Amino acid sequence: MPEALILAAIVTKFLLYLGVMLSTGTVIVTFVFNLRHTRSLTIVFSVLGLIATIFGFLFRGASLTGDITGMIDPEMLGLLWNTPVGTVFILRVVGLSLLFVGLFLGRIGIWISIIGGISALLSFAQIGHISGNKFALAEFALLLHLLAIAFWIGILIPLKRLASSSSTYIVAAKIGHRFGIIASVTVPILIVMGGYMSYELVGSIAALTGTAYGQALIIKVVLVGSLLGLAAANKIRFIPALSTGDPNAATHLTRSLFFEWIIIIAVLALTAVLTTNLALP
Amino acid sequence: MKNFLISIIICFWATMAMAHSPLDQTTPANEDIITELPTEILMKFKADIRMTRVSISYEGGDSIKMDLGDQTNFMQEFSLLMNDMGKGSYLVEWRGLSADGHALNGAFSFTVE
Repeated sequence: MPEALILAAIVTKFLLYLGVMLSTGTVIVTFVFNLRHTRSLTIVFSVLGLIATIFGFLFRGASLTGDITGMIDPEMLGLLWNTPVGTVFILRVVGLSLLFVGLFLGRIGIWISIIGGISALLSFAQIGHISGNKFALAEFALLLHLLAIAFWIGILIPLKRLASSSSTYIVAAKIGHRFGIIASVTVPILIVMGGYMSYELVGSIAALTGTAYGQALIIKVVLVGSLLGLAAANKIRFIPALSTGDPNAATHLTRSLFFEWIIIIAVLALTAVLTTNLALP
Repeated sequence: MKNFLISIIICFWATMAMAHSPLDQTTPANEDIITELPTEILMKFKADIRMTRVSISYEGGDSIKMDLGDQTNFMQEFSLLMNDMGKGSYLVEWRGLSADGHALNGAFSFTVE
């Protein structure tokens, strides 16, 4: 396949992760923390997720023919439709559409959006090497891993917004504090599930250090480690200081959330490379 | 340093190409040197696959799409008629789909002397 096409497929996958994780995450934090003004953000990322889903499917067609014609080849797309790739496609489109429609349906809508978001997350557990395992445990682990990530990613933009205006410092501190309490449960789940899946996929220290997949995984873990450092600083220092209305704390917090955002972008990009191209040991 | 980087990149791509290649055996075998041009190429896979594209190139030239005929189901063995292009090196590249939806691809080469 031409390299430009491979690159386009990786970028599409990255946008898919970004779209699904952010739209689902925003819906979840909106529900949990009773947030306002998150609809337009959710609209943008759910639409991004939908577009990336469609292009992702077409790129799979291209990988069957080795060139761009596969993207519109009815025979190739029809073939894919009848494999788990088709099931994933439907789950993702239906999930993201429900999430989108739910945004316009008032109080009941948030439930529809949450169900849609979880369906879209579930679609990731339907394919890939994790689902190649015999037991459903790995799929369950992946779903928990993704839910924990979505929750984490979802809080960043709304919290940064609240911490950027002195009139909402106290609200930001309250939400940040409550997020910290919930995250002390969800983040360990994220790490344990990630560790478990990595063990299932990589299996040995030799494969971890000796293969491209293993090395990319190490970089991902280092990035997530630095993310944890930032999050810990927020929880222990900046959020408590912000609750006293300290503008310096607000500056530190918004900067820290911005860096968290950058690292998350890098982690998602790396995951897209990891799941598109690199061979498992 | 440059060579080192290039070899790393090559290893990277080689592992990537190996990612999904459940090809069991081919006739002619990979890197075989044979005296007579075969009339057909045989490919045998470890599991059922749906072949989507096979192309052949001669002496590093442009690749030509090979006719799959009626071999358009999930199956393990494929035979494709060869075009007689004479003595020299041949590269066969194939693409397919596994039953679980993974894209598969690989290549093998042989030389006719």
